[in-house]
Amino acid sequence: MGRLAGKRALVVGAAGRGNMGQAIARRFAAEGARVAVAGRHRDVLEELAAGIGGVAVDCDFADGVSIGAMVGAAAAGLGGIDIAVNATGWGLLRPFLETSAEELDRMYALQLRGPFQFFQALIPLMTGRGGSIIQISSATATILFHDHDAYMATKAGTDHLVRSVANQFGERGIRVNSISPGVTETPMTAGAQAVPGLMDAFLESYPLGRYGTPEDIASGCVWLASDECFMTGQNLQVNGGLTLRGNPSAADIAASVAAAAG
Amino acid sequence: MGRLEGKVAVILGASNAESMGAATARRFAREGAKLVLAARRKEAVEAVARDVGALAVACDIVVEEDLASLAKQAVDHFGRLDIAVNYAGVESGGPLIETSAETFRQAADVHFVGTALFIKQMALAMAQGGSIITASSLTVLVQAPGLSAYAGSKGGADALVRIAANELGERNIRVNAIAPGFTRSAMTAGYFAVEAVTRAFLREIPLGRFTTVEDVANSALWLASDEALVTGQVIDVTAGQSLRRTPRPDEFV
Repeated sequence: MGRLAGKRALVVGAAGRGNMGQAIARRFAAEGARVAVAGRHRDVLEELAAGIGGVAVDCDFADGVSIGAMVGAAAAGLGGIDIAVNATGWGLLRPFLETSAEELDRMYALQLRGPFQFFQALIPLMTGRGGSIIQISSATATILFHDHDAYMATKAGTDHLVRSVANQFGERGIRVNSISPGVTETPMTAGAQAVPGLMDAFLESYPLGRYGTPEDIASGCVWLASDECFMTGQNLQVNGGLTLRGNPSAADIAASVAAAAG
Repeated sequence: MGRLEGKVAVILGASNAESMGAATARRFAREGAKLVLAARRKEAVEAVARDVGALAVACDIVVEEDLASLAKQAVDHFGRLDIAVNYAGVESGGPLIETSAETFRQAADVHFVGTALFIKQMALAMAQGGSIITASSLTVLVQAPGLSAYAGSKGGADALVRIAANELGERNIRVNAIAPGFTRSAMTAGYFAVEAVTRAFLREIPLGRFTTVEDVANSALWLASDEALVTGQVIDVTAGQSLRRTPRPDEFV
């Protein structure tokens, strides 16, 4: 019997082939949960939902009305929600002095307002039966990375929101936690993976000697989602010890790429 | 198939059926692990060991030879060592200005030096990599008066965990701590006997109930399994109490 047997789970950010949301949805289904998957690309969601016997729901996480409708549709499709994961994100790399007001607005909408409104929509639904809410954060909410200010600041802000929501709604049996991956081979890092030597620059920062995979993050989500877990308000580092060492600097990465180019 | 099938685990601090060590032993056994259980007195751990088919070993955490012998017996008996869990602890309390050097040293000996030597000796025996887990405490996350020797030495051990994880990653050994909340056990029985104390604590626990030894065992299982790409972390199992605070003794009325 699966570790999530009988649970109803919603995973947002599952509309990119090979992304974390997809791995989380597949793993939840393999553990016995019935899963609703949400995102912006209907065809990709339907392909995933068909594969795991789940439900596909449209959602633009930059739009609060869409978030509310998505949570409502998922709850209707599943008959309620016990587990909800926000695996959306926008991995913008832009120097601090060059970050535009439009980029900041969009980052805020996706990575702080979106999670805020997602949690707001979930709390009433989970009240009564309890539940587990999981926010995918980032190691960069703790350790710095160059040209990543808007991303890091909103992820860190949402981690603090996780603590506050956990504190307020624990008495309703709702646990709220976040997971911080490090560099992971997903569509978000496809650009970096395409540059020879670039990913190698990160390896020395990983005590366990490898990057995480979407499946590692999915395993972390199963733990936080299951009834075995008695944690709340926590930010879990699922990155093989990256935060013990810190990210490589821009100079380190440039040197690694130059070395690979010969 | 169990989540620890084929693995060999050492658990230190399992001398009482109600303890975190015993709960962890029962959980690990259900998941297919082979077990070595240890405590200072071998007789104390034999009953728990018998229930889960474990090898019982005497081990005092402040004696490095005992720790080396514990690891060796696991490898000699079962052929390998994959998981090591340390729950050994010593209670101490009182205002800092009334605490003796002897009390500070005793707490540091068990929690800090003992944890360091536990990590060292278990890591040396883990030929195929592994997972080392040690007990931290709520009292490190949200301090309270009167716990300088206890929480201070436990906090030092948390720093050790991070450094050990950084160093031992290349051996594919993960090192983490579990910080349980206020948990009913032999060590805390005195506190749990006073309703004013439990009432004051419950007000500070968002999830509305005390952490149990089973909650701690489940967390240890997750860290012990191959599913956790997690190292150098203090895993908070305080039911959210670390988001609030530890009640003061004057609130125990």
